Amino acid sequence: MEIVEFESFWNIPYKHSAGKHASKFFHALKEKKILGVKCPKCNRVLVPPRAFCERCFVECNDWVELKDEGVVETLSVTYVKFTGLPDPPYAVGVVKLDGADTGFLAYLGGIDLKDWKKVHEKFKPGTRVKAVWKDRPEGKITDILYFKPVEL
Amino acid sequence: MKIGIIGIGLTDFRIHKEPFYNLAFEAAKKAVNDAGIDRGDIDSFVLGGYDNLGVGRTIANMYVAPAAGGYLRHEIRVADDAAFALPMACMRILAGLSDICIVVGFGTTSEIPLELVELQSLDPLFYRPTNLSIWAYYAIQKYAYSSKFGVDEERIAECVVRDRKNAKSNPYAFKREELKLDDVLNSEYSVYPLRKLETAANCDGAVALILAEGTIAKRLSDSVVWIKGFGWSNSNYYFEDFERLPATKFAAEMAMKKAKMDSIKAFENYEVMDLVSNHQLMILEALGLADWGKGYEIADSLNLNSSGGALSTNAYGTTGLFLLANAAIKLREGLFDSSLVHAMSGYARRSCVSLLGV
Amino acid sequence: MRRVAIVGVGQTKFRTRREDKTHPELAFEAVKKTLEHSGLNINDIEAVVYGSMDPFDGIYRPELWDSTSSGIFKPHMKISTGGTTGLTTALAAYEHVASGLFDVVLAIAVQRVGECADAQSVLNTAVDPIYERHSGVGAIHVASFQATRYMHEFKATEEDIAWVSVKDHKNALKNPYAHIKMDVTVEDVLKSPVICSPLKLLECCPRSDGAAAAIFASEEVAKKIRDNPAWILGEVTISDNYYIGDRPNLAVWDSLALAGRRLYRAVGIDDPKKDIDVAELYSAFSIQEILELEALGFAKPGEGKDYAKNGITFPDGDIPTNPSGGVLCTNPIGASGLIRIIEASLQVMGEASNQVENARVALAHAWGGTLQFHTLFMVSSSKKFGR
Repeated sequence: MEIVEFESFWNIPYKHSAGKHASKFFHALKEKKILGVKCPKCNRVLVPPRAFCERCFVECNDWVELKDEGVVETLSVTYVKFTGLPDPPYAVGVVKLDGADTGFLAYLGGIDLKDWKKVHEKFKPGTRVKAVWKDRPEGKITDILYFKPVEL
Repeated sequence: MKIGIIGIGLTDFRIHKEPFYNLAFEAAKKAVNDAGIDRGDIDSFVLGGYDNLGVGRTIANMYVAPAAGGYLRHEIRVADDAAFALPMACMRILAGLSDICIVVGFGTTSEIPLELVELQSLDPLFYRPTNLSIWAYYAIQKYAYSSKFGVDEERIAECVVRDRKNAKSNPYAFKREELKLDDVLNSEYSVYPLRKLETAANCDGAVALILAEGTIAKRLSDSVVWIKGFGWSNSNYYFEDFERLPATKFAAEMAMKKAKMDSIKAFENYEVMDLVSNHQLMILEALGLADWGKGYEIADSLNLNSSGGALSTNAYGTTGLFLLANAAIKLREGLFDSSLVHAMSGYARRSCVSLLGV
Repeated sequence: MRRVAIVGVGQTKFRTRREDKTHPELAFEAVKKTLEHSGLNINDIEAVVYGSMDPFDGIYRPELWDSTSSGIFKPHMKISTGGTTGLTTALAAYEHVASGLFDVVLAIAVQRVGECADAQSVLNTAVDPIYERHSGVGAIHVASFQATRYMHEFKATEEDIAWVSVKDHKNALKNPYAHIKMDVTVEDVLKSPVICSPLKLLECCPRSDGAAAAIFASEEVAKKIRDNPAWILGEVTISDNYYIGDRPNLAVWDSLALAGRRLYRAVGIDDPKKDIDVAELYSAFSIQEILELEALGFAKPGEGKDYAKNGITFPDGDIPTNPSGGVLCTNPIGASGLIRIIEASLQVMGEASNQVENARVALAHAWGGTLQFHTLFMVSSSKKFGR
């Protein structure tokens, strides 16, 4: 006996408030600036910025402008297409921006991604990278197109 | 062993423009300050509230755990209205595994398409294709209830008037404008025979409670609100008994049994999660306070919904805990000595009842 | 504190799709098996704790529909904590009994990822939509980050890591419930397509449909049910901060190390290598077993990479790890954590399909979120460690 199957699609709309802290971050992106917050207690500079420091359990309202340059901590190149996710290949990594105490999740790019070993060599942990911005930033996280290696 | 509430924190309950984890932080921080302790004093973090569709992202407790103060600590999340997280916290304390435990709940009804979200909890084969929204289901309940027991429209609409009257004097409630019976009866329909004004007042907010094992509670607070008992239950997924709330009945019976209490009528205050007008009466009857269909006879003689109930404040995910916090605050203030707090979820098929006292 | 034991376990056969059953019917299959294993009937179950990682299965709050499979008009609690769900469900059930309020509690976890067109797109919804969702990151990516960093720090080779996959696949062949049954060589693994560098297809977990259940009972009841219950010696769960960039070093799973220390202290473990006979660790991607072994004190930093290669973590080695085949071969996400404690329990009961000789103390682990949560359980054939 044939098993009956039904297709269903979830298309559920949401409108998420970024809140005061994230909103400030996004407005700064329009000026090609990356902002972090400094915890008044432990003095760590946190990016992405957040309303409170999870260690000290206090509000963070001291804003710090960070360089859009930093060091790669880790990376991965994706070669498979997943539904709803970007077309491969794309490289993502964690970048420790100069002045920040936490890493920033971002695309890595500016080079050929076909051979992952070459990408891993070019962007190996410790590599200095710099942000490549959209010409006309919109105040979205995608204003930072990717981080590319800083040629010495 | 006794378990007491030594700290209470609530955000405003309104439409917020902050992500849910920031609301959770605000409530948790308030509770911690209220208890006069530090986040480091808390050994266990029990979160409540909805996940994925109910909040707009999967594994929502990834964000709420640090917001509740749970950074590198023991944290678990009960995925239901936060009132259902209270038993989990209590059981951990009773097991001797926790001394001071925080319970945090949040609701961001304004960010989600609530009816569409709840609809997805219906199975895709039989129920979901009927597009039976929660309001349509509650409306069927109203119709079944009023026709089976011969309860007039006015009696049911009075529930709204009752709640709003109380909300007026509750600074924590969301919708606080009083309503007259005619206002309700003349308002437009949501899903017949339910009127819009007979449905819960959706908003956002977060609640946090600090619980402590008895001996510690007494050391840390002079105004402990004791948790005397709690019970919870599900009922059949397949719709039956439209005119009754069996899960509420079982939850209340379990709570009374575990608390070794005899009379459910002995509480000086009752807070019930009336997501729609008819629920208020149905809950009173399921609790055993009145015979079926006779809830309206006793509703005015009870201290009922001093918080304003869910008809005045409904932050999807934490309404039950909101009602509990309101009861606890009033218990502290000495307005009454005992309270029964009721919550329900899942198309009114799950219920949790907590018993508080001083 | 009340002693609690697992007195019955049940698993369904895990496959890509169980199109033969609906959600509650799949749950029922596991419940039935568990009742059979314990010799109890449904009326003996006093409370139910249910875990699932919705929304993978296309149902929001599947516990509502599934609760029909475990008895209605019972206290029923839903736990959902990402990848750790199965094990936190066990934790909640354990605490139900440890509290003294209940004597017999059922923990059940169900997942039907097979009904979802693409799990990674769902996992992407876990990533913060405000800052991070745009980066197209799912579970595989965060494990790849671990792999890249570990290889860089400790000079591990792709081959070293591939050995974990070889071991897990071999073990799964002996597990009647396992999903993927394939004997693979290191070359097979290295030749499989790269998914997210450096991880290859055969180093990644599958998506599986299935359900698992376990019954927790108080000491007095456990003794009446079976001679060889799996006693719970201790449990720990820990939550780190959310942002992936907050981890000090992705090559070292320090939050797991912290959780391990707390558990060992509570149970009285001095040396995990000597005191623990077998470990069921949540290694959804080959690299993770290596990080987990190091974090949990089974290997020094950088040493873990050689363990599988040198046979140490094989069933006849010194530190048998994932004799069930682990998550790498069977991953019904919300249930995977529960399967870890089920397999650990079967080991100390002496009833496991890939039985480790003289297994008396076993460790079960699960992780979840953005490498954020861990839950650990220690089970034993003795009521107290060291007896």
